[in-house]
Amino acid sequence: MISQIAKKEMLEMRRDGRFQVASAIVLGLLLVSLGIGWQQYVSVNRQHEMARAETREQWLSQGKKNPHSAAHYGVYAFKPKSPLSLVDRGADQYTGVAVWLEAHKQNEFKYKPARDANTLARFGDLTASSVLQLLVPLLIILMSFSSFAGERESGTLRLLLSMGIAREKLALGKALGVAGGLGMLLVPAALIGSAALVLASDSGSFVANLPRLGWMTASYLLYFAAFVGISLTVSALAKSARLALVCLLGFWIFNGLAAPRLFSDVSRTVHRTPSSFAFSQRMDGELKKGFDGEALKKKVMAQYGVTSMEALPVNFLGISLKAGEDHGNEVYDKLYSELWDTFEAQNRLQQQGGVVAPLMAMRSVSMGLSGTDFAQFRDFSVAAEKYRRVLNDAMNDDLKNSPKTEGPYMADEKLWSKVPEFAYVMPEVNVVLGQQAWSLGLLVLWALGATGMAGWAATRRLRAE
Amino acid sequence: MLQAIGLSKSYGAQTALDGLNLEVKPGEIFCLLGANGAGKTTTINLFLNFIEPTSGLAKINGLDVASDALETKKYIAYIPEQVSLYKNLTGLENLDYFATLASGAAVEKSRLVGYLREVDLPSGAEDRKVSTYSKGMRQKIVIAIAMAKQAKALLLDEPTSGLDPKASNEFSQLIRKLAGNGTAILMATHDLFRAKEDGSRVGIMRQGRLRQVLNTDEFGHADLERIYLEHMHD
Repeated sequence: MISQIAKKEMLEMRRDGRFQVASAIVLGLLLVSLGIGWQQYVSVNRQHEMARAETREQWLSQGKKNPHSAAHYGVYAFKPKSPLSLVDRGADQYTGVAVWLEAHKQNEFKYKPARDANTLARFGDLTASSVLQLLVPLLIILMSFSSFAGERESGTLRLLLSMGIAREKLALGKALGVAGGLGMLLVPAALIGSAALVLASDSGSFVANLPRLGWMTASYLLYFAAFVGISLTVSALAKSARLALVCLLGFWIFNGLAAPRLFSDVSRTVHRTPSSFAFSQRMDGELKKGFDGEALKKKVMAQYGVTSMEALPVNFLGISLKAGEDHGNEVYDKLYSELWDTFEAQNRLQQQGGVVAPLMAMRSVSMGLSGTDFAQFRDFSVAAEKYRRVLNDAMNDDLKNSPKTEGPYMADEKLWSKVPEFAYVMPEVNVVLGQQAWSLGLLVLWALGATGMAGWAATRRLRAE
Repeated sequence: MLQAIGLSKSYGAQTALDGLNLEVKPGEIFCLLGANGAGKTTTINLFLNFIEPTSGLAKINGLDVASDALETKKYIAYIPEQVSLYKNLTGLENLDYFATLASGAAVEKSRLVGYLREVDLPSGAEDRKVSTYSKGMRQKIVIAIAMAKQAKALLLDEPTSGLDPKASNEFSQLIRKLAGNGTAILMATHDLFRAKEDGSRVGIMRQGRLRQVLNTDEFGHADLERIYLEHMHD
């Protein structure tokens, strides 16, 4: 009987011109956004791959030079793009995806597309994630605001209830009808999206990304279930279909437009970040303090049991540079972790917003699983910085142990190739799930709460007129 | 089959129905007459359990509708004044949907078409969308639903309002046929002529009270109008 109700709901939707137009638009946008995401992913990945090979090649074939010069020559590190980033580009736009690793300095990331974007970008990117997070809920609202209220208005609800059908079955049938209607739209989109994923990734990385894809699908389904539940609840409670629509659109605007703005403003006020200028001023100040060169000299002489610098069996330059690096690293570690902790505090506060607006939870989960959230940016930055230190240490070590000759000391490819290539592996899905536990939990609560509410409203509060 | 025992409904200080006692037996057509607001629709809503009684009982087939809401609905069919069906579905699809919900299982298409022939829906109309139907045609679909449901009692709310005389006559024939098969029929109406023609008994209501019950074979058309007006005037 439930399936009959669902079937009838879907039949009505299929024959409703408005629904056809709306779903055609959403499906079209979804496919276009997946296409754009795919094209971007493929082109960025190709560029990264070429640049990665190139930077390694340049490093290896830089010729004979002093190791410290080589450290200054540096290498680029690229944040790998997960195939799922074609669904959700997340914060990559703002954080950047490439960083230059060189001596003395922990550089800022480069290639932030947001920097080159024109003002149109303020209206938001067309990404699959924005279609899924904003437009699909709107479509759900349009599909279900009149579910009960419209039938009550037209009078069919009286006839329906006089049939002696259990109201929980009616509610379930209606919910499944909306789900079915949505399925007609999302299943083809999901199949095309998966095909794009397969095409975009080599087989190994596709399999590796399957758990992330699975979790992502599940979390979007929870998000949609929440909207179906909310829409049916309002439709059962509202006096008229028009009122139901107004209430639901109000919630949609709050969820999609007001809440994200509100929480981002609040989080920036509560957890202030320094301006880029103030940050680099402070960084310069700390770095300039430097370290005590004389003390280091004494310490090294004592360590090697000699009384003059000339008597040192090692090249002091290497030790001094290493000490300089260590001092710089200390400053970088302190200031960057302060800054990043602040960003994370802001993110956490925004995730609290998921309590009132499911979008905030959904967005966080989606970015996390796509590997484009701040936590994974930080993970990559830390890995890149660690590599920079390995590289610099290798150079300074070599310099320290270099023979004391009259002319400048030169190293060659033998040294360069001793430094392994930078390789970064994205965190396992479990790590991401751990970071997103709060938001995932909220999505589950929203879905259960909203569908539970719909069941309650339809069985206990649904009036025939 | 249909039984009201001291059935009352009030909204705050306003009494919509005041101590109604009524019984409609199988095969009987009972017509409730009265002005708007007399309590006719309230009575039907109470039998449908769409509203809860303030006091008293509404029983269908001996079961209290308030405590056996789903069970009692198995025995009844309801035809509202505004017969609304799903506009984007065809007549047959509407019948199929409601008949399936009412009986809890799919009903064969041939049987459904048979019901539509029985209610005399114009041939070929069943595959047209209901949005093209007249009220009379929609009513026929609802009667076919009642037949498919094999309802033992029929609740009709102003069924002939807005029908042309021919459609009204066709409708009368259909419900008489149903009554002839043993269906108990409770019909709220303004139509004195139809009440006298079709009804076995008529009840005259005013301000929530059932003032008088008459057997239709005991008086003529003119008498009914006179008695009705007498009740309305004092």
